[in-house]
Amino acid sequence: MTPERWAQIEELFHRAAECAPQHRTALLDQACSADPELRREVEALLSCQESAGDHLQSAVSVGLKAVGFPLVGETISHYHILDGLGGGGMGLVYRAEDLKLGRQVALKFLPEESAKDPVALGRFEREARSASAFEHPNICPVYEFGEHQGRPFLVMQLLEGQTLRELISAPGPGNPAMGIEKLLDFAIQITTGLDAAHQKGIIHRDIKPANIFVTRQGQAKILDFGLAKLFSVVSAIGEDSKPDHGDDAETEGTPSGTLPLTTPDPFLSRTGVAMGTAGYMSPEQARGEKLDARTDLFSLGLVLYEMATGQRAFKGDTGTRLHDAILKQLPTPTRQLNPNLPAKLEKIIHRALKKDREARYQTASEMRADLETLARNLETTLLGTRWRKMAAGVATLFVALAIFWFAKRQPPSPPSVPDLKLRQLTSNSSENRVTGGAISADGKYLAYAGIKGLFVKFIDTGEIRAIPEPAAFAGKNMDWQVMGWLADGIHFVANAHAVGKDEGSWIAETTSIWLGSVQDGPPKKLKDQGMAYSVSPDGLQIAFGTRNRGFAEGEIWLMGPDGEGAHKILEAEGDGSLTAFSWSPDGQRIMYIKVDALGEPTGVSRDLNGGPLTTIFPPAEMKELNEINWLPDGRLIYSVPESGAMGNTCNYWARRIDLRTGARLDTPRRLTNWSGFCLSSGSVSADGKRLAFLGWANHNNVYVADLEAGGSRIRNSRRLTLDESDNNPTAWTADSNAVIFFSKRNGSEGLYRQRLDEDSPHLITTASGSFSNAHITPDGKWVVWFIQPNASGPNPATQLMRAPITGGTLELIFVAPHEALLLCARAPSTLCAVGEWTEDRKEIIVTSFDPVKGRGRELLRFKGNPGSVYCDISPDGSRIAAVTGPEEPIQIFSLRGQLTQVIPAKELNPKSFLIWAADGEGMFVTHMVKGGSELVHMDLRGNTKALWKNDGGYYPWGLPSPDGRHLAIQGANQSGNMWMMENF
Amino acid sequence: MNRSTTHEVTRLLANWAKGNEQALGDLTPLVYRELRQLAASYLRRERQGHTLQPTALVHEAYVRLVDQKNPSWQNRSHFYGVAARLMRQILVDHARRKHAGKRAGEKVSLEEAVSFQKERNRDLLALDSGLNALEKLDQRKCKAVELRYFGGLSMEEIAQALDVSPITVRRDLRMAEAWLHREMQNV
Repeated sequence: MTPERWAQIEELFHRAAECAPQHRTALLDQACSADPELRREVEALLSCQESAGDHLQSAVSVGLKAVGFPLVGETISHYHILDGLGGGGMGLVYRAEDLKLGRQVALKFLPEESAKDPVALGRFEREARSASAFEHPNICPVYEFGEHQGRPFLVMQLLEGQTLRELISAPGPGNPAMGIEKLLDFAIQITTGLDAAHQKGIIHRDIKPANIFVTRQGQAKILDFGLAKLFSVVSAIGEDSKPDHGDDAETEGTPSGTLPLTTPDPFLSRTGVAMGTAGYMSPEQARGEKLDARTDLFSLGLVLYEMATGQRAFKGDTGTRLHDAILKQLPTPTRQLNPNLPAKLEKIIHRALKKDREARYQTASEMRADLETLARNLETTLLGTRWRKMAAGVATLFVALAIFWFAKRQPPSPPSVPDLKLRQLTSNSSENRVTGGAISADGKYLAYAGIKGLFVKFIDTGEIRAIPEPAAFAGKNMDWQVMGWLADGIHFVANAHAVGKDEGSWIAETTSIWLGSVQDGPPKKLKDQGMAYSVSPDGLQIAFGTRNRGFAEGEIWLMGPDGEGAHKILEAEGDGSLTAFSWSPDGQRIMYIKVDALGEPTGVSRDLNGGPLTTIFPPAEMKELNEINWLPDGRLIYSVPESGAMGNTCNYWARRIDLRTGARLDTPRRLTNWSGFCLSSGSVSADGKRLAFLGWANHNNVYVADLEAGGSRIRNSRRLTLDESDNNPTAWTADSNAVIFFSKRNGSEGLYRQRLDEDSPHLITTASGSFSNAHITPDGKWVVWFIQPNASGPNPATQLMRAPITGGTLELIFVAPHEALLLCARAPSTLCAVGEWTEDRKEIIVTSFDPVKGRGRELLRFKGNPGSVYCDISPDGSRIAAVTGPEEPIQIFSLRGQLTQVIPAKELNPKSFLIWAADGEGMFVTHMVKGGSELVHMDLRGNTKALWKNDGGYYPWGLPSPDGRHLAIQGANQSGNMWMMENF
Repeated sequence: MNRSTTHEVTRLLANWAKGNEQALGDLTPLVYRELRQLAASYLRRERQGHTLQPTALVHEAYVRLVDQKNPSWQNRSHFYGVAARLMRQILVDHARRKHAGKRAGEKVSLEEAVSFQKERNRDLLALDSGLNALEKLDQRKCKAVELRYFGGLSMEEIAQALDVSPITVRRDLRMAEAWLHREMQNV
């Protein structure tokens, strides 16, 4: 480029950049009329101008970080180093991926000197190993030891959070001390960890804020057991000199109120007597005496002192003065510095700080007992404060709808994490809604499925890439599900099945497994007739089902990422089935849901290599959960729909369960306080930091349309229910003037009646429990319906109720043992009937009943699949039409039990609702189509006319008015988008 | 860094300002070593979640290397000019070594192929080659970018160092940033 050209480009670039955007085009048109090349150059520059500075800045700072963390990108032993985390005087700490186990770990490099004393190193290794061996929740485990170019390193659990040093922040008079509740919580956790270690004869020797890590979930973990001892030997050969500048920033230096905010050197190295950090030494340590467990309690006392007052107990601007203070001075009483402290806490801290170890707490458990007593006593007085705090937390998130429910269920658990971060990853309209997705292990990509196919989103840049459909699916309506990512972080596993016509719903027989790619091209098929459930954490195995049995899979198989090496690993017992198979993040255990012959689900887990099966969630709990995500830190995060809310409200909860024993390690902890949408399809990045999930909401409303052409056409459809709650039409009044519907508009389930010329409904009755199947008796006097008081209980008995149509008291007619169906004909017939499952759930028995007199005689029986039988009685009460499974034909029985007609209606598979037209000459049938479901009118020869479509999984059913002039339709509108939460 | 080095650096800067090119040659390794050490150690002090900028290192090197008792604007300006260039060199050398190491490796796993670090190294290398190209087109703009991003000078300081008005610096940077960003995207 010539200097003249460069100057020309620059001149125009500045002019264009400086003029208002709306005038830019005109400016360029005029300036570049004869020079399109100039225009291209300037436009390219203009488009690159935005955030250019940030890009340059970030390139430079990443480059700098690479200099400081030279091992990033290397693979050492079987650890692939991903990122630099920071470090102390000892050396650097990296985040790395364990390529063998597919989990992320922290690699901590020790100073080179430590390799010079193999005996001490060996002892440290043994000690750290034994401290890790018993897997205590308050001790950060060391997994392994290694050496890289002469530098020993430790492989530790990767923790997310910060050290107490950072939490306390810079100590000094200007800084508020830590809240008393938090302080006690951490103190109890630390004493618990210390107690466990001391019982094994392991002393820490360097308890200080920088060695206590607090995870995001508030769990305190003690770091670096035994490390101090290693250095007490090693550093004895050092010299007492002022370190050069390369190191001094890393050294704790002189404890004073003006300490730099750095990760401090844990050791007072180079003093010759180093055994622990100067500021947190015990008197016996300062004197160089033999240490026992009580040294840790003194140091902990110092830590608590600082947490309580924001200041250090002992100050001294040189090592000598500090030693002096530790040995001789009495610290200022804590309550002089922080008058809000309970007197009891002051006593505890000052007892831990006794110079004479005989006068101190003798064991960590003794100290813990005192802390616990104090915490209990404070509990009652603090309750008020906690409630206020909770209300504030809720308000900052979303709506405080569910507080009463929260209070009822989980009084002692703290409110949601205050700094939880929520990010919306897709913003699709309901016509194009997202149906689910999965985040990649590195948290960079989201693969998701929606009405319009498969997509990958690059989370950090926001770019969205559509994955082309495979050629095999040309012209077909396919539904996709993303199930997980392979080890390479590039390929993901998806299920596909054709919608409508000749293929069915999500069952293995009609589903195929595909491998999609971020990079290019359509997905490649791995397997026909299989449904993938999950990908192992190492990304090398895909779990899938092959054969539907009862409610779910008969068998679970594994195969490699290429579809090879398929083998069975689980088989359901008896009439039971299996579903929701997943691995623990460390790949050591598996979890799945066992469904028994009656459909009762149990969440179970066992070791990958066999061993006993542990119940994680018994059926009563399992039924309350939407989905379970297993986190690397051991938590299970699951979504719970809130029964108290007006629908469309789910929240995430977390709890720890010992997967070996099934023991509950803590009480469930609520993570979110959302309302207005439900959560499912959760997936977690390998580091456990990002949880992507589908947030969806469904709005059901009652629509009314005029029926024409013998019921095969609708016109003038309008919405009858004018609110945002869930409204489901269930019957018409006998005079065809009003629709009866269920609604949760007042929080609990209610039965309402609304005339076609009214804008709001009349309440007929309300009750707790789940309502279903309301009908009007042929005489028009009663509304009869089912209430399941305990829908999610182990045996959901169904109560058949009646209430006067004009409103009033509800009364029990009788109790049906299981879930049941309800049918009523129209006058002049007087027939109402219930369809009840036999005990083995293989047949339905239809029995007549009278709303006042109760149960009548058995009319007929037919076979069916639980959960997918829909039937209706003809208006004249002479025939029953039934569809006994989604792929089954429509059967018409006489009331004497004879099968009189079969309508295959294959094009309507998968079918659901079936409701007779008013004239008895046809039916309104609901079936699934791409992106939703459709309501059609079908005559008795099987000819169909489409009437209505709902986007989403909610079936629109159609209820004709008795006079045949109107159709009440359950119109649903479903939205779905992917979200991501962090910091949970 | 001991007092004699400080004295030496200050003296070399003064000599260089007087037109002694040899002084620059003597100065460079001193500053380079200082920056290199600072870069390697600085990150150990970095707290999680903080992004460190090299400019902080250059400032720190200046404070360490130049006698603060007799601060002279001219010395400061010269020092930053040298330090920014050296900082760029340190970072780029490192990134290049990493990059080459990856290429030379026998097998690059898919994981590594999309590794964040590598992509970002590429950004820095692209920026460097962009700056080389820019230097040929417009030396002053290249210098302004170096002083800004590798040396951490403010607009006013850059203006003084380059002896132009702050408005010119602002325009220079705007053009250079957009142009470099485009170069980086095209790599």
